[in-house]
Amino acid sequence: MSEISFSLSELNLQVRDAIRDHLPDTYWVRAETSDVRRNQNGHCYFEFIEKDAKNQHIVARARATIWSNTYSILAAYFETETGQPFVSGLSVLARVQVEFHELYGYSLSVVDIDPSFTIGELARNRQLILKQLEEEGVLTLNKELTLPALTNRIAVISSPTAAGYEDFCDQLTNNAYGFAFYTKLFPAIMQGERSEASVISALEKIYEYKENFDAVAIIRGGGSSSDLSCFDSYLLATNCAQFPLPILSGIGHERDVTVVDAVSHTRAKTPTAVAEFLISRASETLVELMNLQQRLVDKSEQIMQTAQNRLDEISRRMIHSSNLFVHSELSAVQQLSVILKHQTGRLLQAEKHFVSEKSQYIRMVSPENVLKRGYTLTLKNGKIIKSAKEVSQTDVIETIFADGRVQSTIKRLPSK
Amino acid sequence: MEELALTYSQAKQELEEIVSAIESGQLDVDALTEKVKRASELIAFCKEKLTKTDTELQKILDKID
Repeated sequence: MSEISFSLSELNLQVRDAIRDHLPDTYWVRAETSDVRRNQNGHCYFEFIEKDAKNQHIVARARATIWSNTYSILAAYFETETGQPFVSGLSVLARVQVEFHELYGYSLSVVDIDPSFTIGELARNRQLILKQLEEEGVLTLNKELTLPALTNRIAVISSPTAAGYEDFCDQLTNNAYGFAFYTKLFPAIMQGERSEASVISALEKIYEYKENFDAVAIIRGGGSSSDLSCFDSYLLATNCAQFPLPILSGIGHERDVTVVDAVSHTRAKTPTAVAEFLISRASETLVELMNLQQRLVDKSEQIMQTAQNRLDEISRRMIHSSNLFVHSELSAVQQLSVILKHQTGRLLQAEKHFVSEKSQYIRMVSPENVLKRGYTLTLKNGKIIKSAKEVSQTDVIETIFADGRVQSTIKRLPSK
Repeated sequence: MEELALTYSQAKQELEEIVSAIESGQLDVDALTEKVKRASELIAFCKEKLTKTDTELQKILDKID
């Protein structure tokens, strides 16, 4: 047997040449990133993998490299476009050069990446999770919670050292209106692979003390954008959606709405924006209170005014009717007095008349007047006599005339 | 002011009920006086809850481990 044999390096060189001959161009490949790392020279090493859509088993794998000069351009571009750094677990569309090195073997050298594919994949992934949450009937549960009228006891999930956390606390503490806020930090890792479990365990801790809080703020340092994938995790999202307190998200991401943002009660872009939201809610609460107070004052004043008016009215009517009464009594009295005067006058007149009539009569019948009319009075022994039979012959009688007296002696009596 | 054993929400609800009752115009002046007195207490309570920091409450939160 004298067949040709190769040394390993000779064989590998053959393989290298074969690949170079057959796959001379660069090719677009769709894959997921895994185990992404950089060495001190700035070169980026990772693996492309492909998973079975059904059971998630890895069905293909290739080592990959992005050389530092390419990396510095591509990574920045990728992050700007996707809002997402180039990390493990991303679906990417990369243009690669297929390489085979006699010592290091098969690898793909990345020359370009299409960020729009990743954006699409991230969005698709979010959509899938949202759809799943919806099918499970939990998607809007947190949104359906009512923020208490006074929301000022806030459980904060954040990295304790994050600038965003400090900003958040400062903003609340130094709010211009002097509203009282209470915060309690439940520290969590906010990026990287461990963040999902860490945030969930912070939520579980808060759950134990849920009576002490009005809302939960999940915040993450603004500015530096970093790995958001944990906020697109189904597990964290379903925990947030079903959490019994309203969740306010402020995970410092301008462009993308993560799944956690989508299920949380209120989404703000940054921790500061969450603080502003809370302050503006407190001022709405204060305004509501002031409005109630105003309504109370207005209506009470109106009622008191009405009561006062009614009193005034009653008092006016009372004065008026007493005046009327007094007047009518007075005029009745005056009328009576007129009548009295009149009647008295008449009565006096009548009396006067009567008296004068009588006195005239009396004058008429007085002895003097009778005597003047020619009658005389006859006296015997100083006593009036009224009969001829009272005198005898020779009696002396006195006759009284109106103007004097005479004495006579009876000479003869008429014969019997 | 005496401490009312109420939450903010309860106080605000009671306040709203009082304001509605007053606005219904069914109250006489005596009842009104009572209600306004109670409402003033509730408003003061709510304002205090909004703006006065309760150090006891912060202590309780700080103790959570």
